[in-house]
Amino acid sequence: PVSRRPEHRRETARFWRENRAEAALRERCLVPTEEYERFARTLEWALAEHQRREEERIFQVPPATSRTGTGPASAPAWPRLTALYRQMAADIREAERRQRETVQAALQKYCSFFLNRAQLQTEPELCAGPSICGPPAGPERDTPCDAEQPGPSGMQAGPDVVWMESGQVLTFIGHQETEGNVHTGAKPPWLTEEEDGSKQIGPSYEEFLKHKEKQKLKKLPVERVGANFDHTSQTSDSWLPSFGRVWNHGRRWQSR
Amino acid sequence: MSFLLPKLTCKRDVDHAIKSVAEKVLVLRFGRDNDAVCLQLDDILAKTAHDLSKMAVIYLVDVNNVPVYTQYFDISYIPSTVFFFNGQHMKVDYGSPDHTKFVGSFKTKQDFIDLIEVIYRGAMRGKLIVRSPIDPKNIPKYDLLYQGI
Repeated sequence: PVSRRPEHRRETARFWRENRAEAALRERCLVPTEEYERFARTLEWALAEHQRREEERIFQVPPATSRTGTGPASAPAWPRLTALYRQMAADIREAERRQRETVQAALQKYCSFFLNRAQLQTEPELCAGPSICGPPAGPERDTPCDAEQPGPSGMQAGPDVVWMESGQVLTFIGHQETEGNVHTGAKPPWLTEEEDGSKQIGPSYEEFLKHKEKQKLKKLPVERVGANFDHTSQTSDSWLPSFGRVWNHGRRWQSR
Repeated sequence: MSFLLPKLTCKRDVDHAIKSVAEKVLVLRFGRDNDAVCLQLDDILAKTAHDLSKMAVIYLVDVNNVPVYTQYFDISYIPSTVFFFNGQHMKVDYGSPDHTKFVGSFKTKQDFIDLIEVIYRGAMRGKLIVRSPIDPKNIPKYDLLYQGI
């Protein structure tokens, strides 16, 4: 430890030079040996404490594993590690459950609040709303009151919650056991079909000719007669072309 | 000469011609193949059809085959020629009482060519009625009133 001190001094001096910091601060930054040793000791102690706590937790796990019934089949070479992971998983599940419950409780309060608001639709009810919801946490009460914006978004949140809570029962169609799938990076089906002969990429020659005709069409004046006439419309047997109001039938515009 | 020009024999064919001819003047000659004036007109149509092929499509229709259209277009004298563009009927003021069709035959091929050109240009500009360039002297005269009624 003593040999560290001159090195420590030198390094701090160099650092100060390179970064051109205030020399006054440097003295304060030098760590005296005693402090350093004390720090090392407390560090060791803290580490030992942490280890001890972890060991306690691990040794509590064996009762939990017997409850879940996974049994000796899942006793690998690292029993303490897997047990630790299991404990962590259980803790996480517990935490998530608590979070979900609080969120759902809050959403329900929002739901009922906004439903009230939609039904009554009067200003005084705005203030009465949150009080009806009961005494939620402070920040929750403020937000429904002040902003107009939560209105439509709140209504949208309502049906979503209902959908989530109704617990849809989905039809199970079986495990898809194949050689490869999208997760393993197999070749997609639309790229695997090669038996259709040589499919040329791009339009055929006839399509190209049709395309050229269409381009020519675009060059024609837009206000020409019948520019928007649908040449391929299916007409009944009794269809007759418009005769330009010859028979006093049809719009006056047709005789322009 | 009528064997040189395509014919339409039923209403469905006429409908199809009216609907399908695109960006060109459709010329429908209503008449009978063996009528004297029709033969004259058919001769002019046949001889000019090739030169006008980029602007016009010409068909012959026998009035006996399509009574529906004969009545609809009010064809009382033959030959009567009706013009269409993109499914829309084109009217031409020849200086005669009826603007909806050309009654009779043309005096010269040039008259017909000029008329087609005027109709085509008018249609491109969006006009449903155009003025005929033909000299009124060459337009056949007929009586629209039936036997003095």
